[in-house]
Amino acid sequence: MDFLNYVINGALIGLLYALIAMGFVVIYRASKVFNFAQGELVILGGFIVWYTSFELGLNLWLAIPISLIASAFAGYLIERIFLTKLIGESVFSMVMVTVGLLIFLRGFILLVFGPAVRPFPIVFPLRPLFIGDLLIPMNLLIGGGITIVCAVGLSWFFNKTRPGLRMTAVAEDHVVASSMGISVKHSIAAAWIIGAVLSTMGAIIFLSGKSLTFLASDIGFAALPVALFAGLESIGGLILAGVIVGVAQGLATAYLDPIIGGSIGTVMPFIIMLGILLVRPTGLFGWRTIERV
Amino acid sequence: MLQLNNVEATYSDVILALKGVSITVDEGQCVALLGANGAGKSTTLKSISGTIQSEDGEVTGGSILLDGKPIHNMEASDVVRRGLVHVMEGRRVLRHMTAEQNLIVGGHMVRNSTELNQRLEHVYKLMPRLKELRSRTAGFMSGGEQQLLLIGRAVMAQPKLIIIDEPSLGLAPLMIKDVFGVLKRLKDEGTTFLLVEQNSAAAFGIADYCYVMENGRIVLDGPADKMAENEDVKEFYLGMTSEGERKSYRDIKHYRRRKRWLG
Repeated sequence: MDFLNYVINGALIGLLYALIAMGFVVIYRASKVFNFAQGELVILGGFIVWYTSFELGLNLWLAIPISLIASAFAGYLIERIFLTKLIGESVFSMVMVTVGLLIFLRGFILLVFGPAVRPFPIVFPLRPLFIGDLLIPMNLLIGGGITIVCAVGLSWFFNKTRPGLRMTAVAEDHVVASSMGISVKHSIAAAWIIGAVLSTMGAIIFLSGKSLTFLASDIGFAALPVALFAGLESIGGLILAGVIVGVAQGLATAYLDPIIGGSIGTVMPFIIMLGILLVRPTGLFGWRTIERV
Repeated sequence: MLQLNNVEATYSDVILALKGVSITVDEGQCVALLGANGAGKSTTLKSISGTIQSEDGEVTGGSILLDGKPIHNMEASDVVRRGLVHVMEGRRVLRHMTAEQNLIVGGHMVRNSTELNQRLEHVYKLMPRLKELRSRTAGFMSGGEQQLLLIGRAVMAQPKLIIIDEPSLGLAPLMIKDVFGVLKRLKDEGTTFLLVEQNSAAAFGIADYCYVMENGRIVLDGPADKMAENEDVKEFYLGMTSEGERKSYRDIKHYRRRKRWLG
């Protein structure tokens, strides 16, 4: 039964990683920017939720939608200020800007919200769900459901709707997309809005009932292997990749950490990521280069 | 409909690729732009569509007017909204999307689903092969099929003017016939074309008027039927002498040098 517990909890944590990784993937698809500041977007979203619910004293169910709208606006502003001028520039410049953005966001949050550890509102019931001997945290269970709904919804959006297909065209080729009348700038801005909203949703699931500190931004790096494992263009693949990474991490923590003396659970996602990248450099479901010869 | 007046285009602020190009395309016409590699044909099309900006280029002189309104240095996406679509060379389909998704992206500005479906049916009627391949990933289609898809994608936007770059490049003769057959049908439906082509025989078959470019300048122009009979054009593009014999490549190169000098 312990084994099943580790598997289920690992899978649910993996789905949380997948939700954060979805922000990575949406931004990467549109702009080819690998956003190193994704974890900072999570804590920015967290602080916005804290501010609206505790500082402004709004009802939680009003504070959450307002926070999602505010984080969407923050994502839009970040794209307009830092990235819009870089369209067409080298990948290296883009990556360096996101590293700069990471440092800037940390400084900005410190300046605006202060260095103190803040309480995060209890959004999901703290009492876990018991099924026989199984113990499942409610935040992760509901969060897993939200992740699956988001993945299905975004896959449908990017493959079936005209605005989504426009963004997919931008993901494929900026020049071709603009030659068809698609505004590349608007698509990239929309991707940052979606990425910021997904990060805030990740913050709500991850931090519900916990303390809000800068350490929470580490979840951005924990989600990185899931994005690379799934392939940087695949939304649906994130679910499978997240579950595999989460379960492997859970089992490694439970069974290998006591033998080795700890930490193997932490590095397990990265070991899986390196393994899959050696075999399939584009990840499990990433776009492979189609070359006609 | 389209007027280029003494257009100059520069890449990276240094390389002057177009040196005073003037072209006129009237409504319903098919105008062909001929020239050797590096003559500036593709740059002319990119300057018109605004895609030159994505290659660090810009129009630095002259003007480009579409229906009397300036479009030079306008964002490529805004140019399409004014009714001009650029079919780029190199068969740049959206490789990871299906043929139908490519077409839908072409008609992304249509708000009404009924109208979008009507346009899809129009494209499928024009090119039945695309209907058979609607679920195929575009990157896995043959070169000719990809070229048809690009034309279909442009038609989905129902533009007033299609500018098309080397549609015959790398295609088998039968496929070239198919592609130009589709262009001819579109022309008969009233679509206006500016066509860049190195296959002059194919271009003369559809064009009403021709311009010849060399070294970023227009060096010759005239009605297509007259140009097809022009000795210099025949010599250089068809490799034939005035007696109808094949000309040696060395002599053609000499002609090229002469043309550059004249230009």
